[in-house]
Amino acid sequence: MSQYFAGVDIGSTMTKVVIMNQSVLASVIGPTGPEHRKLANRVMEEALGKAKLPFEDITYVVATGYGRINVPFADKQITEISCHARGVAYLLPEARTVIDIGGQDSKGIKLKDGRAVDFVMNDKCAAGTGRFLEVAAEELGVKLEDMGKLSLEAKKAVSVSNTCTVFATHEVVTKLSKGAALPDIIAGLHEAIATRVYGMLRRLKIEREVALTGGGAKNIGLVRAMEAKLGFAVLVPPEPLLTGAIGAALLGKDIVKEAEEKGTTLARAERRLQEATLFT
Amino acid sequence: MPEKVALKGLAAADRYYQDYGFRARELKKQGQKVIGYLCAFVPAELITAAGLVPFRIKGDVNEPITKADTEMETIVCPLVRSCFDMALKGNYEFLDGLVVPHACDSICRTYDVWKYTLDLPYAHFINMPHGTGDASLDFYGDILNTFRASLAKFTGKEISDQALAGAIKLHNQNRAKVKELYELRKASPPLISGEELTKVLIAAMSLPVEESIEMLGSVIAEVKGRGEVSARKPARIMVIGAQVDDIAFIKLIEDSGAWVVADDLCPGAREFLSSVDVTTDPVAGLAERYLRKIKCGRTYREMEGNYEEYLEDRFGHIGRMIDDFGVDGVVLYIYKYCDPFGFEVPQIKSYVEAKGTPVLYLEDEYSMSTIGRLRTRIQAFLEMLVK
Amino acid sequence: MSEEKKPEERKKRRTATEAASKIGPMVKASIGGTVQAREEGKPLAYSFICCCYDEIIRAMDVVPIWTENYAGVCGAKRDAQRFLERAESENFSRSLCTYALCGLGFDAWREELGEMPPEAPWGGQARPDMMLGSGQMLCDPRNKWYQAAQHYMPDVPIYDVGLPWPPYEDDYDYREVQDYYVKYIVRELKGLVKFLEKHTGKKMDWERLSGLVDLTDKTWNLIWEAYELRRAVPTPMGTGDAMNTMVPMVFMMGTQECYDYYKDLYDELKLKIANKEGVIPDEKYRLIWGGGLPSWFALSDFNYFNSKGAVFPVETTYRMIEATYNFDMDLSKISDPLEHIAWRWVKFWTYWHDKARKRPGSHPDVERLIKYIEDYKIDGIVMHEAFSCRSWHVGLIWQLNLLKKVYRDIPSLILESDIVDISSYNEVDTRAKIDAFIDTLEAVKR
Repeated sequence: MSQYFAGVDIGSTMTKVVIMNQSVLASVIGPTGPEHRKLANRVMEEALGKAKLPFEDITYVVATGYGRINVPFADKQITEISCHARGVAYLLPEARTVIDIGGQDSKGIKLKDGRAVDFVMNDKCAAGTGRFLEVAAEELGVKLEDMGKLSLEAKKAVSVSNTCTVFATHEVVTKLSKGAALPDIIAGLHEAIATRVYGMLRRLKIEREVALTGGGAKNIGLVRAMEAKLGFAVLVPPEPLLTGAIGAALLGKDIVKEAEEKGTTLARAERRLQEATLFT
Repeated sequence: MPEKVALKGLAAADRYYQDYGFRARELKKQGQKVIGYLCAFVPAELITAAGLVPFRIKGDVNEPITKADTEMETIVCPLVRSCFDMALKGNYEFLDGLVVPHACDSICRTYDVWKYTLDLPYAHFINMPHGTGDASLDFYGDILNTFRASLAKFTGKEISDQALAGAIKLHNQNRAKVKELYELRKASPPLISGEELTKVLIAAMSLPVEESIEMLGSVIAEVKGRGEVSARKPARIMVIGAQVDDIAFIKLIEDSGAWVVADDLCPGAREFLSSVDVTTDPVAGLAERYLRKIKCGRTYREMEGNYEEYLEDRFGHIGRMIDDFGVDGVVLYIYKYCDPFGFEVPQIKSYVEAKGTPVLYLEDEYSMSTIGRLRTRIQAFLEMLVK
Repeated sequence: MSEEKKPEERKKRRTATEAASKIGPMVKASIGGTVQAREEGKPLAYSFICCCYDEIIRAMDVVPIWTENYAGVCGAKRDAQRFLERAESENFSRSLCTYALCGLGFDAWREELGEMPPEAPWGGQARPDMMLGSGQMLCDPRNKWYQAAQHYMPDVPIYDVGLPWPPYEDDYDYREVQDYYVKYIVRELKGLVKFLEKHTGKKMDWERLSGLVDLTDKTWNLIWEAYELRRAVPTPMGTGDAMNTMVPMVFMMGTQECYDYYKDLYDELKLKIANKEGVIPDEKYRLIWGGGLPSWFALSDFNYFNSKGAVFPVETTYRMIEATYNFDMDLSKISDPLEHIAWRWVKFWTYWHDKARKRPGSHPDVERLIKYIEDYKIDGIVMHEAFSCRSWHVGLIWQLNLLKKVYRDIPSLILESDIVDISSYNEVDTRAKIDAFIDTLEAVKR
């Protein structure tokens, strides 16, 4: 009988669900919003619909991401560090270092034999995360999706000296009003993020190949800025936002396999989609 | 009052932990004088020998620091600031005095702020040197005798060598009890959890030494008697850091799926696992223990031999503990604005990793407002340890 | 890549005195000199300022590399970020002393490359043969920084000099303990001499050392007299200049060059006073820089103060001398050079104790402020809280509160940023604070 595995990644900005057996059967990406407790089951429902599977057929569900504790139907919660590592090991087996730049945090992960062995995180400071660009984009009157493209048109990046998001934004707006070119400024902002992330990453002793995941990987300007910092090209999976969810599903698969080999029984949550309540 | 007699073992520890200062307040009412101190580097033996009650000041990880900011800069170690905040908020209004060692800048440079703001009847700064050479040891002996004379002036009574030797004996007994308790952590699973042990040690630091010995004795008996506590957990963790004076962080690790079986903390192994030598001049024994035996980043250990030997001298006790207690992973838990430990992070990490044990380095603010971030990191670390 | 001006193109900060303007090239030459000394095989020692070893290392021709200075230079040239980032990537906390972070980041990089990091400011910081730490009440980095640097240079030995001083306490006077403090310091300095003899292969020339100790006493007195000239109204020199003129005091003490420099400064100030030449023509407010190291990348803030009619005739920062003839002990009677140094040290750090005893509830740090406020006719006090430096920047709030309690209410301002980390500094915000403070001073005047 076929086994199916689900990974639910509730990030601060986006919620991602994948259902897989040998490969990804269905995936859903949606904004998390403030009500993520209520969202997980809805997104799961949508994914099940796409995969044309009843919930009872899902062998194992792993939840990850910052909202992972709010998934009552998950069989296990695993951190996004382990999940991203596992996901990248599957999608890009040559990768030894993972950089994940999300909406509100950024991470660096070292891989060995397909598992995470070391990591660094920044979830305290907006600079070095997607939020930095979001705030700046708003101040500059540019659409967030256009920031990456625009940065590539830069002649010479304008360096940003402030590392704090609020002050940096103020700084670039001032520079813009003094006549600096918009693409140059945006390139400078991307450079600033790349500098922050690179600085954090260096604690890990970076090893090639390096994979870039998360929302940040969808921003071509940021990809180029990271490559400039690293001095070599990075690998980007086809859908960077799904890495964590894929890894979560695969870790679920590993757990089931190990239990079968050892003959142990696994604790599983009730196969019932319900909202998380305050008492879950 | 009978409360002291009725409570024993872990229940007593819990009582003294939850209501920190409970016994000190009672003793104060009975006419005793209570001397508060910061940091494990204060030789509480001298306070005991003077007939005073030593009381270790702690902070509160759940209480946002507010009042302290009107007098003390926020660039000070958050633990020291929290302690000061507690004092300003009246938690330590039973204190008759304050003793502070030259442990670190955050303590040394705030001494005057403490002294002038709290305006207690007694205050003293123990100007402990940094080096461990003979000249430093001799100087430290003189410093301790100045402290001794100062206490004598306060109480109106000399502290005899005999009284001091007696106090040293008691404090050594106290340490021996803690050592006994630590032995129980070696078992798999440990007979006492990290959370329980931390609670016991924190409770102990608020009690007069005789009561602490009694409490510890009853805890050991209870723990030995109760057999295996619960299911096995996959990882055995050692925590390294400065002062951890709340169970919250230890509990976080244990709730995430591990046992905390070892440490290099105070209160903890650093503070309790080395005793004072019995010497003809008791002050010499004190100086030796506090300056040379306690291994803490605040002390500048003189280098002998080559660099590898130097690291072994400074951190070898960590390596031995990892072996003796079967440690799977080390959590290096350092507060922001901490110089003595902050400068050592690369060296400690490098030393432990060279021994084949993974290290998670966490920089924290002391308050539990950061608990969500810590939880993810700890959980990720534990996931990496378990193969 | 960047459209920002290269540091050299930045407009040179205006100083009031010739003496102050000479400093930049002197520092550059001295840093370059250490690089050259490395090439010539002279013994080099990483050193901290104010550690009693100036005369001792000079007497043995050991070349000091003042690591705090190099970090300050990187900060002033606004090129410290990459070294701070490198230190952070080594797992040093960003909340540690940024001098140390800059130095550690630099050293880690230099050792990794086997040569100076690219475009290192003013030629870079040379690799030392030894490192001279110092255990004191001044700051922890003095005994932790070099120990941490040893991780990147495990073959470089360290000597850590213990240099305590008696604290101000209510139940004993420092004179009751000064003897054993001096005894300890002398032993530590003896150990330093032994260490230097071992690692240079040279023996100490005690006569030469005595000569340098004597020269240092004379230099201390000269500096004090020169700085006291700033009491004049209008003041001929402000703290902005003093942050330059402190260089010989802390980096060249025990040299004839240092003495000559202050002789020139003294003469220049005397001339200015004779011509009634002040820092600014229309002095409205006289301020004391009452505590904290300056932001090395923002010394132009002093010029901003000037533009508002405010001058700084006096500061406590880097005024690391007193006139030795004002001590309660005749130092000239102490012929043994190490004892002489030790007594000078203890007397300096307890200088204000007696004054504090005379005023109930006071403290030596506050007495120093009061004396300067009165002697220099001060209207207000400015302090700077540098986030990474606990040694000079903790206790400022308390000092101000105590000053107001035991002396009088006086307008005060605490600026916040850092010594080297420019990302902590906000020029707009700082200037706004200064403007508001000027308004307060004006209001109080009326």
